[in-house]
Amino acid sequence: MFNIADPVMQWALLILAAVMIGTCLLITVAFFRRWQQTRYVRYVHTLRRQYRPVLAKLLSGQRSPSGAEALRELPLADLELLFDPLFSKRKLPERCRGFLLALCAEMGLIELWQCRIAKGLSAASKSSGNGAPEDLSDRAVMRHLLRAKSIRNLGTLHHRPSWPLLVKALDDRHPDIQLVALRSLAALGAPESLPALRDRLQAVVQGKTPSPPLQALQVAIASFDLTCGPGLLLSLRHPDRQIRLCATEILRTMVCREAARQPRLALTPELLSPQMVELLLTGLSVDTSAEVRARAAEVMVFLADPRVTPVLRDLLLDHQWFVRLRTVRALAHLRKAAAPLYLDIRECLRDPHWRVREAAIQTLISLGQKGKRQLYEHFLTSPDRTTREQIVEVIERMGMMSAMVEEYSEGTKGVDALMVEELAGEAAPLGLSGILRTLSPEMRQKFLNRFLPSAQSMTRSLEEKAQPDV
Amino acid sequence: MNHLRLFLHEWVTVFNLVVLSYFFLGNGIYTILMLLSLRATWVHMRQMAYQGLDTLRHSPLTRPVTVIVPAWNEQEVIVNSVRSAMQADYPDLRVIVVDDGSTDMTLDRLVQSFGLMEMDGAYHPGIPTAPVRTHYINPTIPNLLVVSKVRGGKPDALNAGINLCRSPYFCNLDADCLLERDALLRLMDPIVNSTVETVVSGGIVRILNGCETKSGHVARVGLPRTWLERFQVVEYLRSFLFGRTGWHLLGGTLIVSGAFAVFHRTTVIEAGGFCRDTVTEDMDLIVQLHQWAAEHNRKIRISFTSDPVCWTECPSTLAVLAQQRRRWQLGLCQTLWKHSEVLFRKKYGIVGWLSFPFHAYVEGLGAAVEFLGYLLIPLGIFLGMVPPGLLLVFILLGFIYGGFLSVGAVLLEELTYRRYPRFRDLLTLLVFAMLENIGYRQLVLYYRFQGVLKFLAGSRRWEKVAHVGATA
Repeated sequence: MFNIADPVMQWALLILAAVMIGTCLLITVAFFRRWQQTRYVRYVHTLRRQYRPVLAKLLSGQRSPSGAEALRELPLADLELLFDPLFSKRKLPERCRGFLLALCAEMGLIELWQCRIAKGLSAASKSSGNGAPEDLSDRAVMRHLLRAKSIRNLGTLHHRPSWPLLVKALDDRHPDIQLVALRSLAALGAPESLPALRDRLQAVVQGKTPSPPLQALQVAIASFDLTCGPGLLLSLRHPDRQIRLCATEILRTMVCREAARQPRLALTPELLSPQMVELLLTGLSVDTSAEVRARAAEVMVFLADPRVTPVLRDLLLDHQWFVRLRTVRALAHLRKAAAPLYLDIRECLRDPHWRVREAAIQTLISLGQKGKRQLYEHFLTSPDRTTREQIVEVIERMGMMSAMVEEYSEGTKGVDALMVEELAGEAAPLGLSGILRTLSPEMRQKFLNRFLPSAQSMTRSLEEKAQPDV
Repeated sequence: MNHLRLFLHEWVTVFNLVVLSYFFLGNGIYTILMLLSLRATWVHMRQMAYQGLDTLRHSPLTRPVTVIVPAWNEQEVIVNSVRSAMQADYPDLRVIVVDDGSTDMTLDRLVQSFGLMEMDGAYHPGIPTAPVRTHYINPTIPNLLVVSKVRGGKPDALNAGINLCRSPYFCNLDADCLLERDALLRLMDPIVNSTVETVVSGGIVRILNGCETKSGHVARVGLPRTWLERFQVVEYLRSFLFGRTGWHLLGGTLIVSGAFAVFHRTTVIEAGGFCRDTVTEDMDLIVQLHQWAAEHNRKIRISFTSDPVCWTECPSTLAVLAQQRRRWQLGLCQTLWKHSEVLFRKKYGIVGWLSFPFHAYVEGLGAAVEFLGYLLIPLGIFLGMVPPGLLLVFILLGFIYGGFLSVGAVLLEELTYRRYPRFRDLLTLLVFAMLENIGYRQLVLYYRFQGVLKFLAGSRRWEKVAHVGATA
């Protein structure tokens, strides 16, 4: 049956044997790996369990000379293993970070990490230079993993003196190292490193270098403190539209983050620098790029300058719909900036683009009672059915209907009451019936007691209007 | 009689050559993909230590994502699936559930579970779809929107979701899937950290059967109990861990799971959205994107990473498995036929010269070749053309080579993510990897062959796979 002398058969058997050996090898590696991993996990677990009380004590700020001594006796590799879960957290508590930094410096870990990074950089400069990461050998891959972790650790610990080394790591040939260095620089937030990042941003936008990725660069620069904002002036004034756009986007992110921290943020020339304020008001607000104008509008609403109102008014009338959209949306953040512009925002309810109209509705609602009044008045007087439907949709989506019905039932008057009557009478949105169903019986009765007579009078007046003239 | 014998002889010889080429080409490329993936996945696993997900999580520049869940008669699973999507760890997330005209309690269960109310909503159909009937919201859950529409099929429901989506990226999620908490962050990571415009980012789909779930999340990972489901675990590992990873590394991704992937909204709209003329809209869209990019001279990247995980329910009965596999094969054939102009065209690069031909020959046509091989090779023995000994060795080689590839997938899992923690699980997976090619492969092949026949018959019918509620 088996003709071994046949060369085809010989080949077939050879392949069969090779595949069988390969399969057995894979199975062996799988079992070996499981055994090795189990051992490793057990070791790490024991180490962490053993030193957890010591670490907890030290990290909580308690003095424990014996604990510190025990840690000092550990080999550096074990110390790294022990601290690894802490380093992988982006934000360590300030006290904990200070302590860890001191401990790592004392144990020589900082030096070790710096040494690894520096060695990697010198090795990269000695090698051919522009090779792709795929060209790296397995040892090089392992080294880059270690370097990346070292860079990450320096960033997590906010080791500021390391910033020049991290800036150099941006030129590493491995893209991962560039990315981790970028994140660590962002974590350090050292103002001295900002110019290097800004230059890199410009180079990436202009296509002079492909990496690090633009989005990662933007994220990194945007995480710097707002006081570093003037460092972006060069990019904001750059003749390249894309660079101005990236820089404005970064500035906008910095400002929005600061505004989330301080609800009453006012951008003064002292905070942003007079040149920046001037550039925003006279340069970026009339930039040739609509994208830049749109983003600049979002920064300008926070400006503490009397010249800002007419500039924002112009932006609300911009010929590009997304500039109007972003401006009207930004005004929702700040009542102070929006106060002189209520009528202009109301005018946006007539905008030809539905997204601008929707944003104007949301902004008027978020501006409080005055804004809502403008919105209700528009709803009651506008013959435009589409905008009226949009207003109802936003009111429903923002969950205002329930409060409006309850206030009406309790006897609210004026334009608010008229709005509810109009809603319940003519518009009759789907959401209202749902709300009426979920109201308490007393509240529902109160609502009906008040609404039905007005509805009847509305019906009567409608009937009278409908009578033919005699 | 001699003429007939001669004719059969020639015919069987040609067919044997086709079978041989199919065997060596298929297994050869799979071996290359496995070797490529082994290294890349291992390195990627280590890179996760400094991946910077925290930066992505906290950055104000992280792009918003909308999860679109198309649902048709998914009453058993929908609530848990939506809950898992809403609990995803992502800074700016919205969930849109598109009820595609369900006739069961899908919509009612959503309304009850999330306290939804009907509302008047605007619908701007950028991509034409069947009409949207009602919007449902709960003002206290502002990031959830449920819409009910007239039945138009899964692609139509996805298109409706895209029309309602306002974020630059959207993630489609099947209604029988559970997302891992950080899955979206992990999916967005290759998009943010890429120097090329990444328009699609896909993740791995793992099998939920046998796992314990708790309020929309997998609490304990385990292997399913039945042999049918266990074989599918091995199959999924092979398909995702080295199949898709390998093609991604070669730059020839043709399939990104329709159950779970992030897409760039504007690009998808420009490419025409999800098409309704095939039953595998996911693969169709990916090929369409390749074509769109080539026609518009745009350099895009379709990424696949193996760490973002979505858990899905796999068929637990033969009937349901048959439906699923027939549909996949039918969809594959339809898509390959529809986009046949990609084949061997220079402008499509690796997709046109390697990935598409491979899928057409090994995955598409291969089902018919392999199936007919099981019938015609005995004919060859009968005609005295194939020595029985050689045939036996060849069959043995087929089984063992298949086992080798499946064991490779299990090893890849073991070297990297090790989701199945018990030693017994590893042993079970290895046993099932070896046994997969004896019986199960032939069974699936039979269903795939039926899919090819359905394609040849011009069928376009979507076979609904019923879910028993493993996510519940």
